[in-house]
Amino acid sequence: MQPKTIPLAAKRTSTWMALFLIVALLLQACAPAAPGGVESAAPEAAPAGPVVNALGKELPPDAAPLDQQVLIYPYSGWRTFTTIDFFQAVYERADALTDLLSDSLVRLDKNFQVNPGAATEWSVDESGLVWTFKLDPNLMWNDGTPVTADDYVATFRYGADPTHAWDFSWYYQGVIKNWTQAVNGEVPVEEIGVRAVDAHTLEFTTEMPAPYLPAMLLYSAPLQKKALETHGGLYNSNPATSVSSGPYKLVEWTKDQRLVYEINPDYKGTNIPYIQRLVVVAIGQPSQLLPAYEANEIDFVWGSGTLSPADLELIENDPELSAQYHPHYGDFRTYYFAFDVSKPPFDNLLVRQAFAHVLDRDTILPNIVKRQGIPAYSFLMPGFPASNSEAFKDTYPYDVEKAKQLLAEAGYPNGEGFPKLVMKLRAEGPTPVAVAQAYAAALKEHLGVEVEVSNMDFKSYMDELNAKPTQVQFTLISYGMDYLDPSNMLGVFLSGGRHPWSNAEYDRLVKEASSFTGDPAERTRMFQEAEKILVEDAAFVFVYHQTPGDLIKPFIKGPALEPDNNGVAAWHWPGFSTFSDLLSGVYITKDVANYRQPPQ
Amino acid sequence: MARYLFGRLVGVLVVFFIVSVVIFLLMHAIPGGPYNEDKVPLSAEAKANYMRKYGLDRPLVEQYLLYMGNALRGDFGVPFQSPTETVSGLIARTWPVSASIGGLALLVALPLGLLLGTLAAARQNTWVDYLTSATATLGITVPNFVIAVWLVLLFAVQLKWLPTGGWGQWQHYVMPVAALALAPMALTARYTRTSILEVSRSDYVRTARAKGLSDRQIMVRHVLRNAMIPLLTILAPQIPNLITGTIFIESIFRVPGLGKFFVTSILARDYPMIMALMLLVAVVWSLVYLVTDILYTVVDPRVRLEKSRT
Amino acid sequence: MSTSTLASVQSRQLQDLPKQRTLLGDAARRFARNKLALLGLAMVSILLLTAIFADFIAPYPYDAANPAKALQFPSREHWMGTDEVGRDVYSRIIYGTRISLTVGVGVMAMALLIGIPLGLLAGLAGGAVDYFIMRLVEVFTAVPALMLALLLLSVFGGGLFNVILALGVVAWLDACRLLRAQLLSLRERDFVLAARMLGATSTRIAVRHLLPNTVAPLIVAATIGIPTAIFAEAGLSFLGLGINDPIPSWGKMVGNALSYMRVYWHLGVFPTLAIAITMLGFTFFGDGLRDAFDASMNR
Repeated sequence: MQPKTIPLAAKRTSTWMALFLIVALLLQACAPAAPGGVESAAPEAAPAGPVVNALGKELPPDAAPLDQQVLIYPYSGWRTFTTIDFFQAVYERADALTDLLSDSLVRLDKNFQVNPGAATEWSVDESGLVWTFKLDPNLMWNDGTPVTADDYVATFRYGADPTHAWDFSWYYQGVIKNWTQAVNGEVPVEEIGVRAVDAHTLEFTTEMPAPYLPAMLLYSAPLQKKALETHGGLYNSNPATSVSSGPYKLVEWTKDQRLVYEINPDYKGTNIPYIQRLVVVAIGQPSQLLPAYEANEIDFVWGSGTLSPADLELIENDPELSAQYHPHYGDFRTYYFAFDVSKPPFDNLLVRQAFAHVLDRDTILPNIVKRQGIPAYSFLMPGFPASNSEAFKDTYPYDVEKAKQLLAEAGYPNGEGFPKLVMKLRAEGPTPVAVAQAYAAALKEHLGVEVEVSNMDFKSYMDELNAKPTQVQFTLISYGMDYLDPSNMLGVFLSGGRHPWSNAEYDRLVKEASSFTGDPAERTRMFQEAEKILVEDAAFVFVYHQTPGDLIKPFIKGPALEPDNNGVAAWHWPGFSTFSDLLSGVYITKDVANYRQPPQ
Repeated sequence: MARYLFGRLVGVLVVFFIVSVVIFLLMHAIPGGPYNEDKVPLSAEAKANYMRKYGLDRPLVEQYLLYMGNALRGDFGVPFQSPTETVSGLIARTWPVSASIGGLALLVALPLGLLLGTLAAARQNTWVDYLTSATATLGITVPNFVIAVWLVLLFAVQLKWLPTGGWGQWQHYVMPVAALALAPMALTARYTRTSILEVSRSDYVRTARAKGLSDRQIMVRHVLRNAMIPLLTILAPQIPNLITGTIFIESIFRVPGLGKFFVTSILARDYPMIMALMLLVAVVWSLVYLVTDILYTVVDPRVRLEKSRT
Repeated sequence: MSTSTLASVQSRQLQDLPKQRTLLGDAARRFARNKLALLGLAMVSILLLTAIFADFIAPYPYDAANPAKALQFPSREHWMGTDEVGRDVYSRIIYGTRISLTVGVGVMAMALLIGIPLGLLAGLAGGAVDYFIMRLVEVFTAVPALMLALLLLSVFGGGLFNVILALGVVAWLDACRLLRAQLLSLRERDFVLAARMLGATSTRIAVRHLLPNTVAPLIVAATIGIPTAIFAEAGLSFLGLGINDPIPSWGKMVGNALSYMRVYWHLGVFPTLAIAITMLGFTFFGDGLRDAFDASMNR
């Protein structure tokens, strides 16, 4: 069909173009006002041939003209937003579009496959400890200098530098050699296991075999060594000092209002985008996302924890909006209740089991969480490697009688003598708050345990959680993956981690499995065995796996939004950055004209 | 007058000193610090470095003296929330935005409130009175963020007359100013009505009436003027709040003002910013207060400036 | 003003009791003739009774959740519908009367308990006492109220009691300032001048003429102060601070409803109505009181 229609359309437009040209020439001859006429006629004439953007990428036939290849994306206006670079501060990027100014070593596709990014190939030696990554020699910074292994080395050293105090420095701890020691100030950063063999060869040495290292190196978009040394880690926060080797360059950052990126004409990498211009606008209140979207002021609403049950109801009842709703698995996030097992009453397994038995997922999920989640009986979400969800379905089923009996056995018949609890939440959105409230009400009703729910601000909560001993006795909290391997998710529960729970056998299994390089099935089995301990000890009661849904305007199309291997068609994690190829897989269709005025 | 101003100045300095000490102690009493431990705690070394970098490892007294010393020289430090600019730069960028909305809201609220209040008093216990009272009640009973949300749904989503939010064009002013003006307007109307009724019953108005002055003359010369006194007392403290911005309105309408920093500075433990905001409000407030005191003498000549000092 | 003067003020008041009683009786008669005032009294009484007898009035416990019945619109079973976890909104509004009135009245009581004595002292004593009290008022005025409340709650944690403290700590300023300003302005009015010329002592003038005249604006301030405090609490809820769930406060209910009310209007409308009714009740009541006192005073 298509090849037939295109020449026809082209023919018709060329006739029109000729006509316009004549009119334009006439106008130019007749009146001094003519130049305006010519300019306005020009875009009409443009679609004659295939449209090619500044990076030589040909736009699909249904794509809007280049000047309308604009994506408007919201970011949270309340959170601290100082940087667009992962290695500067992960949690000061305000959920905006970031990490676009250089290529990470690897990138993910929509099926979460790890593909070459800035690294064209990689290999590991027989010891399983030394990894060699070959860099794409074509990559250039837009100041004319080449991207070299030195830039990556400088970036990793910056991350390990205790004077930088990077908020994500824990991530490479125990993996990259000497990283932990460097972060603790015990060895100089020059001694971490990241080395430039030559200008385009990068070598990583790990503490132990880490088969998941390539997946982990998703977060490796480098800073430029020169700019880092001259202007410091925030050089990309100002267009004047910003330098890019990535698909986009920063052209504007108006604090508290918007950021603007434009396609980088000097980009030499392989993640070539269609979209010409990215506008990232601040939305202060999550409740205002949907109205702004409906008013066509933003093209996208991330659904993870932001859309309220009322918003979902509206979307469901509106055929237009529900067609624009794309559910997916997000970052495989699991919400769970956690107890401080180091102190009474939760040092008692019977108490924890009693609590586990009063969680009624079958009522809470369909009525409160609705489309935003699926029930969780364990930590790893179905679809995540080593997930074994079905096996834990009957470990602690909803059973009020059993729960009452267990609590009585623990010495608190009908909750008598049980201390009053405060369940603390980490600045959660409406859905988790409602889940927490429902569980609190069930605890009161069935076990006679009084629970207050306190939704705290992020920092205060983390301060209390991280305090030693922890000040968070009872909580509903979540964790989502950083990279697609059970070692990441299950690592959260290792001794000395986020929670006071500690189990030697669990630690052994997770650590062994993590660096296990043999049969993948055996590795999976070890992780599953560890997860069994986690679930059975009931220090954590898993509630739901988040399945966020995003709203995407229908004029955003492309291979990245077509169904993946599981039939999910959505804005896949990790989103629009050089960590994923979503960047090169979406464009704006002509349909955009029905939604907003073309830019002047 | 000079003596009065000198006295005020001394008073203001005393106030500044106490306020700065109180806020300084309170903000350092909040657990945690400006460093980022959002996922996993930092290493002890990294945390120590961070504290050293910003001088947070020094004794509180030293930190206080250092900050105030720098502040006196016009250096308010660098906000942790936005390390690429200075605190002064941030305030210079955001405050005019908040002030323009707050100022406009005041310009709308005051005359409207006075008018409604006067009307209500003049037509006491008629439908005019009831209608204005109802409006006033609405302004004081419905939180402005609820009103703001409905304004967005009505004028931006349904009618599509205005953008849902943003900044830069005149359209962006309409809803924030309206939402912001409602409460002070209601307050003004209510106090105007109350004061007018009260003053109308006072002895000197009766005397004036007995003297044969017209209602109009009485209204302007005695009633309104005297009614202004409690109104000044009530409205003056609202002004600093109005012109330094409010997170409730600004976050809903995406106004890039100063308002959100009153909250985010605390959430982010942004010490330099907390101190600067506190000093800013103190300065604004003392100016407003000074003007109010002078206005008192204008509307009520029986109050002399010296009186309020001694 | 020294404590001995205060004591003499009190003894004067005792001596003046018979007179006061007639004044009160007079005011009561006037009040009874004012229909709107009676309506206000009725509303405030109903609110107070609701707060006291909430356990008997509410059809359900305020914290009984039934997620299977979450977000239902008003029905015969649930007059005001159910909230996001299936709790009966009507019951929560009834119990909320108790919590919200505790917040409103608590903050106002704190305001009056601090504000009236300080305002009186400042207005009557003048001099150094006035100077120091006014500096104290200025200290608290000069601090942004929301920021101070947030700081206090961040340091001491949330909860009903701390919310009242955090809001009350700045609420007394209006009462104090109002009282002082009124006293300053009244001091020079005709009837005070007349009393002075007739040889009345300043204490006597204060008790007989100044004090009663300051009651009216104070009542107005108090009636506005109560809903204002209920509101400030809503603002804290909007920011995620304030009273913990499941304890129902109207302010918190309005704050939570923000993300729901576009569809589930009942979650926003009923608590707002409750606040409005409280506001109206206290306003009518306060206005009535003022009118009654005023007229009696000006006799």
